[in-house]
Amino acid sequence: MMDLKDVRKRIDFLDSRILRILNDRMELALMARKFKASIEDNDREKTILDRIRKNSPGLINSEFIEKVYTEIIKESKTLQKKDFRLIGFKGEHGAYDEIALREWDKELIPIPCEGYHQVFEGVRTGLYDCGIVAVENTLGGIVGEVNELLVNTDLYVTGAVELPISLCLLVLHGADHREIRTVYSSSQALDQCSNFLSRNNLEAVQYYDSAGAAKMLAEDMPQGAAVIASRLAAEIYDLHVIKEDMDNFGNNVTRFLILSKEENKEEGDKCSIVFSTEHRAGTLFKALEVFAKKGVNLTRIGSIRSSMGDYTFFLDFIGSNRDENIIAALRDVEAVTVNYRFMGCYKERKTG
Amino acid sequence: MKNLRLTALNGGPPRRTIIRVGGVSIGEGFTVIAGPCSVETEEQTLKTAHQVKEAGAHLLRGGAFKPRTSPYAFQGLGIKGLQILEKAKKETGLPIVTEVLDPRDVSWVAEYVDVLQIGTRNMQNFSLLKEVGRTKKPVLLKRGMYSTLSEWLNCAEYILAEGNPNVILCERGIRSFDTYTRNTLDLSVVPAVKEVSHLPIFVDPSHGTGKLSLVEPMSLAARAAGADGIMVEVHCNPAEALCDGDQSLNPEMFASLMNKLNHMDACMKEIAKI
Repeated sequence: MMDLKDVRKRIDFLDSRILRILNDRMELALMARKFKASIEDNDREKTILDRIRKNSPGLINSEFIEKVYTEIIKESKTLQKKDFRLIGFKGEHGAYDEIALREWDKELIPIPCEGYHQVFEGVRTGLYDCGIVAVENTLGGIVGEVNELLVNTDLYVTGAVELPISLCLLVLHGADHREIRTVYSSSQALDQCSNFLSRNNLEAVQYYDSAGAAKMLAEDMPQGAAVIASRLAAEIYDLHVIKEDMDNFGNNVTRFLILSKEENKEEGDKCSIVFSTEHRAGTLFKALEVFAKKGVNLTRIGSIRSSMGDYTFFLDFIGSNRDENIIAALRDVEAVTVNYRFMGCYKERKTG
Repeated sequence: MKNLRLTALNGGPPRRTIIRVGGVSIGEGFTVIAGPCSVETEEQTLKTAHQVKEAGAHLLRGGAFKPRTSPYAFQGLGIKGLQILEKAKKETGLPIVTEVLDPRDVSWVAEYVDVLQIGTRNMQNFSLLKEVGRTKKPVLLKRGMYSTLSEWLNCAEYILAEGNPNVILCERGIRSFDTYTRNTLDLSVVPAVKEVSHLPIFVDPSHGTGKLSLVEPMSLAARAAGADGIMVEVHCNPAEALCDGDQSLNPEMFASLMNKLNHMDACMKEIAKI
């Protein structure tokens, strides 16, 4: 039998969900703004109110729900007027990508995307003002999908963030650690915590996203389950952190890039370029030789295979594209490579 | 001392087991483990941790799962307590010793702390001994309050036989007829252990005597008897402790004890030369 305490617990649970759904709705309102010529759209408001009046179930009388929705629409419009800048990130709220973007700029409004492709497309089409993507991780290496998208994009890199990743074990409040049997998370997070999972005899179950797994745990409450996700995800979905820093080796750092349709106009201290080389002996060496001769310090060299035997290279280096030495180096590199593209000069933020 | 294949010296060449925990080498020099009986609150644990670190302790003790005589007494904070200990280690750098009571908790407790303690009541809990034997964490094995040296070493043998060579023995007093002290601290077992085994031997004067006034003299005596270290209860405010407040040193008393123990360094070296 349920007692008052149980009923109240359920009410609290539903309130958290209502709040999250309301937040999702506000995010969509901000996205809708990008398509609309003006904020006011009386026809659309009338359609919404007609619809909810018709669909309001059981105890919800139409007068009441109309009042609620009039307020919601009013607030949406207030937010739309504020000219927020939206940033797309992969995953659900509480993803590490969201933590990284908060480190980059707290003023940005994070919008969850299904995948990296949606982040790139959203920025390209103007739905988001910018996007954030993970490019490499100290334990997992390069993020292949992102690097492939980067090779083929027209977007610019306008910033970078290095974020230490603390993988945490999250459970429902009051859960007993002895009853945990399965652990849900992204495949990367599960891989990085494989030792912890095997030492404690826990079954790893892949989920599309770590924060998504946290959301699932909070909403579906599966028996004997825990998730690996961020502390932020624990806060958002009201879960309890029972272990931090679960990863196998420590020193878990992910590097993220901020992408934008426009090139960064402010002074930066790091640059990224991509290029291919002709299939002749020594062509890659010629490109790298330029940097050696000009005394430019490279910070990352990545390669992505475009077809069998053909590679596109990424190069990050320290320096500003306003510096004469760098300008000359880039001119020389462009001359000895093919499909050269300057991806941007930007500031890199290290956190933690 | 039959069947002690791994624990006993068995007439072989003299050797000592050295156990490395964090930056500490247990079995080399004199090691002091100090801290509260129980993790009660984050504030109490962190405060005590900083105080014992300041005074020169090498490891921090603190109970998260507590074996209490009464089921109604404070049972410990569980995982929350382990998280507090983890934080204390982050702040002070002191490796953590904590007791584990339940075989189901062994792998979990090992994720948070550096040394697993088997309490006196669990000394002969063989399934628990096997479970800690399967981890790679050092184990501090307290002597059962009714146990002979041979029974005790057999329990260490269980842990070694599972593949974990890092066992620290800890004398904590045995039951006798005198009620003036909580237990009778058997210091003669210290040189006895050294005669038959290569494992490090510690002394717990707090539980061994249960009397605040006896903790310091018995700590010094333990060192004189050749113990590899002591494990002593220290509370930032013993009057308010939820457990064993009567036998816990306050930080000033602990600092004074550390000072005296340090003075014994030179003494012990002198004696060894004679």
